Amino acid sequence: MDIIIKIFYAVISITVATVWGLTLGGIVRKTYARVHKRIGPPLIQPFLDIIQTHSRRETITHGVMFYLGPVFRLAGGLGTYLFIPVIFGSVVFGNFSMAGDLLLVMYFIFFGQLGMALGAGEGGHPYSPLGIARGLSQMSAFELPFSLAVISIAIQYNSLNITDIVAAQQGSILNWTLFTNPLAVMAAMISLLGMNMHSPFSLVLAPQEIPIGPPIEMSGSFLGILQTNRAIFASAKLVLFMNLFFGGAAHPNVLIALIILMIKTLGIYMFSVLIGASFPRFRPEQSFRFFLKWPTLIGIISVLFIAYF
Amino acid sequence: MLSPLYILILGLAAGFLLSPIDKAGRKLSLTVFYFVLTFNTVVMAVRFIDFAFLGAAPLLIQTAGFQAPLSINLQLGLVESFVLLFSNLAALLAGILLFKKFKENSIATMILYLILVMSSNGLVMTRDLFNIFVFIEILSISTYALTFFNNKDKSLISGFKYLLAGGVSSMFLLLGVVFVYYYSGSLNIDFIKAENFSHYQTIALFLLAIGVFIELKPFPANGWALDVYESVNSGIGSVIAVVNSAAIFFAFYKIVPLLPHNMQNVFGIAGIVTFLFSNLLGLKQENAKRLLGYSSIGQMGLLVAALIFTQNSPTRLVYLIVGGFFLNHLIAKAGLFWISSIVKESNINRWFVMNKHKLLPLLFGIFIFALAGLPPFPGFWAKWEFVKILVQGKMYLTLSAVLLGSLFELVFLFRWFIKTLKTENTQPLPKIEFSKLIAPGLFGILAIVISNIIMRYFYSFNILYALPVLAVLFFFLIDFLPSKLKAIISMLSLAVYSYYLYPFESKIQLFFGIIFLAGSAVNLISTFNRKGKSKGFYGFLMMMIFSFGNLIIAQNYLEFFLSWEFMTIASFLLILRGRKAEKASLMYMMFSAAGAYLMMAGFALAPDISGQLPLILGMANVHLPLISIILLAIGFMIKSGSLGVHIWLPEAHAEAEADVSSFISAILLKAGVFGLLMIGISYIKSTPSFDVFYWIGWIGVFTALVGAFLASFQEDMKKLLAYSSMSQVGYIVASIAMVTHLGWVSALYLTFNHMLFKSALFVAIAGIYIRTNTRMMYKMGGLIKRMPLSFITVLISIIAVSGVPPVSGFGAKWLIYTSFIAKGWYLQAAVLFFASAVSFLYLYRLIHTIFLGQLKYEHQEVKEAPIWFIIPQYIFLAGIMAISAFPSLIIKPLNAIAVQYFDSSIIMEGYSIYSQLGHWNGGLVMLVTMGVFITPLVILLLLNGKTQKVKQFNIVYAAERPESPQTTHIAHNMYAHYRKALGAWGVPRIWNFWHGASEWAHSLANNIRQIYTGNGQTYLLHIILYIVVIYIGSGV
Repeated sequence: MDIIIKIFYAVISITVATVWGLTLGGIVRKTYARVHKRIGPPLIQPFLDIIQTHSRRETITHGVMFYLGPVFRLAGGLGTYLFIPVIFGSVVFGNFSMAGDLLLVMYFIFFGQLGMALGAGEGGHPYSPLGIARGLSQMSAFELPFSLAVISIAIQYNSLNITDIVAAQQGSILNWTLFTNPLAVMAAMISLLGMNMHSPFSLVLAPQEIPIGPPIEMSGSFLGILQTNRAIFASAKLVLFMNLFFGGAAHPNVLIALIILMIKTLGIYMFSVLIGASFPRFRPEQSFRFFLKWPTLIGIISVLFIAYF
Repeated sequence: MLSPLYILILGLAAGFLLSPIDKAGRKLSLTVFYFVLTFNTVVMAVRFIDFAFLGAAPLLIQTAGFQAPLSINLQLGLVESFVLLFSNLAALLAGILLFKKFKENSIATMILYLILVMSSNGLVMTRDLFNIFVFIEILSISTYALTFFNNKDKSLISGFKYLLAGGVSSMFLLLGVVFVYYYSGSLNIDFIKAENFSHYQTIALFLLAIGVFIELKPFPANGWALDVYESVNSGIGSVIAVVNSAAIFFAFYKIVPLLPHNMQNVFGIAGIVTFLFSNLLGLKQENAKRLLGYSSIGQMGLLVAALIFTQNSPTRLVYLIVGGFFLNHLIAKAGLFWISSIVKESNINRWFVMNKHKLLPLLFGIFIFALAGLPPFPGFWAKWEFVKILVQGKMYLTLSAVLLGSLFELVFLFRWFIKTLKTENTQPLPKIEFSKLIAPGLFGILAIVISNIIMRYFYSFNILYALPVLAVLFFFLIDFLPSKLKAIISMLSLAVYSYYLYPFESKIQLFFGIIFLAGSAVNLISTFNRKGKSKGFYGFLMMMIFSFGNLIIAQNYLEFFLSWEFMTIASFLLILRGRKAEKASLMYMMFSAAGAYLMMAGFALAPDISGQLPLILGMANVHLPLISIILLAIGFMIKSGSLGVHIWLPEAHAEAEADVSSFISAILLKAGVFGLLMIGISYIKSTPSFDVFYWIGWIGVFTALVGAFLASFQEDMKKLLAYSSMSQVGYIVASIAMVTHLGWVSALYLTFNHMLFKSALFVAIAGIYIRTNTRMMYKMGGLIKRMPLSFITVLISIIAVSGVPPVSGFGAKWLIYTSFIAKGWYLQAAVLFFASAVSFLYLYRLIHTIFLGQLKYEHQEVKEAPIWFIIPQYIFLAGIMAISAFPSLIIKPLNAIAVQYFDSSIIMEGYSIYSQLGHWNGGLVMLVTMGVFITPLVILLLLNGKTQKVKQFNIVYAAERPESPQTTHIAHNMYAHYRKALGAWGVPRIWNFWHGASEWAHSLANNIRQIYTGNGQTYLLHIILYIVVIYIGSGV
């Protein structure tokens, strides 16, 4: 019985995350459009997209791995989300965070990447691996400052358990990691730009450079699943950042907590969106070098600072 | 029994009478000739057995009816009979080898030969100084004459130089004899009271000693000797190297007790200098006989040093060391000269003409390995004990010189060996007559027999430690059987061996037993695929596997080191079997040997282990000095391919045969890990002042990072996996270096995991190589359609390597990061995170370039990997899945091991593991992952309607048509942009460093050997100057 309830709660949690993620996507497109002096698509466009892609009557596939690619991807997104406790103290939104700590979440992010890489590779396009190669290289680069930030807060809170980290940030806004360990947050937020793959780090799927590949070869439900995943995965990352650096979402009333969550994640997301809208794209070697220089340095300083002061 | 005096009498008589006897027919004189030689040998053999086993007293023979010192007396004791037995045996065998030459040349050659042998006997036995001089003269004269044996101009010239040099040295010798007689009043060694010599009078002793010493050909006053070795007939060369040198060495041995202490030391140092520089100069030498000359001179130098520096040690040890070196040199050097006379090629690069012969390469190998000081041959034991004595005497500079010289020797010997064995041979030797093979063959057998005697009687080893050698011999005997039968025999013997070993005393031994033995057993399955007979393969393979096992149960340093060396030899020979493995195997041997020498020194510096505990347990009570820890750690880290000494690793893995690479990567590297754990166990109780392990930790961490990067840039799939191994073992090394509970649990977990997934990967890759016949990944692609089983293996294995949950790799990563952060090694943890992220690059590259993308034309019909490769892969996969689903299956036992050394830092409840920082529930992760995977899959299946499967090549291509599968697969230089981004960090500095060091050594050798101008007068000048230098150095 317990497990059925748990699964039920998980479904609710996922649904909320999906809806919010898609909404965020819609907000972003509207924002981009307005910045470019266009009207832009309606806010519910992402929902319409998903309904549209799933309604296609025929799709093509190149084989088992191709078929499984989007599944891996979505599994990665869902899994990542499910291992993060979304709302502090809530049973419904606690997810499966007892299965593992921050390390599990960090590594599960790779699960989806790997799966998608395999699926795209199976597509047979020569440019897919090019994009994947760039994506993996970039990922390795931004992991460095991110891991330094994670180590820094692990030292600070003496725990890798996300729930404990959120608990330590309660009390007042000044308890947020943003204020108690600003260097770590800085390093992490710069990594976030890489994670979200917006400009200036959008070379991975740069449409002008890689005109063929997964977005074209995958159609129909495959594409729908990928788009759904985009929403969930984005939500997961944002919730993770919120928990680690911005005090988490904690309120005795679940609905108010949800609203706090939405506001905070919107803020974090707009951070990367606004930077993305304003900057052009880096070349591959520029983006790697960028991550390995200043953000890493900030990360190292934050670790040393926390460890020895 | 016949008095040894008869040897001299018979020799002289035969010498005089051979000329008239020859008139009656060559056959008769040959009979007499060989009879005398045999007689000498038999007499000495009987006497030696008397002295050695029946406890007879030394024999003192008076001559001329008077007692000494009025007359000359001869002494024949244990040592004399030992030297003379082997010296006469060598002379006899050389005589047999030269049978044809003796038959055809004038009778003078036989006479001279007999005189030479007789005088060497006399030189060893006599106790009278002047007699020594006379015998040296007789020996020299007969040798000079014999240098003209092959009637070439070069021999005449070198013989003449020999004459000149010998003349000078005898002059000094005679002067010394005269003055010693003058000051002491006696010519008999036993009656000279050298302690009573005043300061001036010791000059006489100096002259005496240097007169003999020059004859031993010290560096740099030995140019004449090298020219002689280069130009004489090989049989005579062997006699000079072995019989002459033995006799003169013994003469020196008799004189040494007369010399004052500091003079002795100077000669010892001179010996070491000779050893070091002869071997250095040998590096550039390409003429086979001259090279053997360098080696002989070097060995004599080592012998002199061994003689002088072991004077205060127990007799038993002195016999082993000096006797061991002596015998080693005698057998190996004579053997090699004899082979040289069979092969008849003057350039070492042309010796490959022998490699199709059935017996010669084997004999050649035995002699080379013996000369290199590898077990089981006598030189190994001698060197081990000698190193211990040098360390006890705190003679560190000498020790370094000995080890460095040995390393140089190893370089040229193995270069020769490898070139001989591996070069394509289109002109095999004509049939060799049996008489020529007797001599080297007998000596080959003798080498093995003596090694066995030393092992059993001197050290009283358990038969287990000889098992590697017995395995090689056994498989050599059954080499004619088909490969599959030998594979079955191997499996059975491994099973029996494991069963015999099984009651291990501790869990950690059981753990490594499983890794070494069970891992080898599963890998053995893949060798069933071999066709034909695979000659030599199973012998070496079992030698390696048995040495792995012996490492675990070794109870003292020597047993451990012995097994370690056997392991190195076996793996070297296995790697050598690869098609283009010359450079790789040489590099492997060099680095392993250097590591082994460091380990030898490290063990010698460590306090003695007594007791019956296996070493891995006994180390807990040993306090290792800092220098010992550093030396041993470097030695072990070389074996694990740590950063800075890793350049052998990719070459060895790549060039070894397909099924061998898996053994090397998955199991051999773990031997280094085992060693580091041993040091770690000692480290726990007795941490030295300087925290070595902290720096080892950093090295491990950077090894992980650099290995991951290097792997990403490889085109060759085996090199990619090799660098991946380097990276993963870097993680293990860093974890051990933490010396904490969680650190060791993670290290052991990763060791086990690595064995599983790296074996699976290498076996899969081997299967792919067998089918596609290429190692370059960009030549493949799209193989998922044709080789789905291999694909699944590689897929799950790379997920395991990367650490993505829910497969077992994540457990390793969780343990490692938690342990690093808990220990406080924050920056190291960050570097590991980075390395982990970079590892995705090469893992993806591996699976994508081979399996995904477009299938090339030539692979349209490729079959799945052979069944014998599929089976072990899936066994390993099953292991991976088992510990992924049930992590506590492995973590509980590992925890039980680690708590023997530390307090536990984790709590295990059911499926969850709690550390001070976080938690992980392996079972739940697996369930959730399966849930989130199956759910979308089901949704997709339901929603997807009709899917149409299209051909791989049917892709949307932005308004063009793709040209062909060959050009539609991005694989070559896949991470070019990353390489560009790394910029100056991408330069192969370490590779350049080691190659530079090698080049530097060779240049130095080349420059120094310019002193050998070929001009006899220059050589005389060298001799005189040398005498002056030694004189000044001896402080007289």
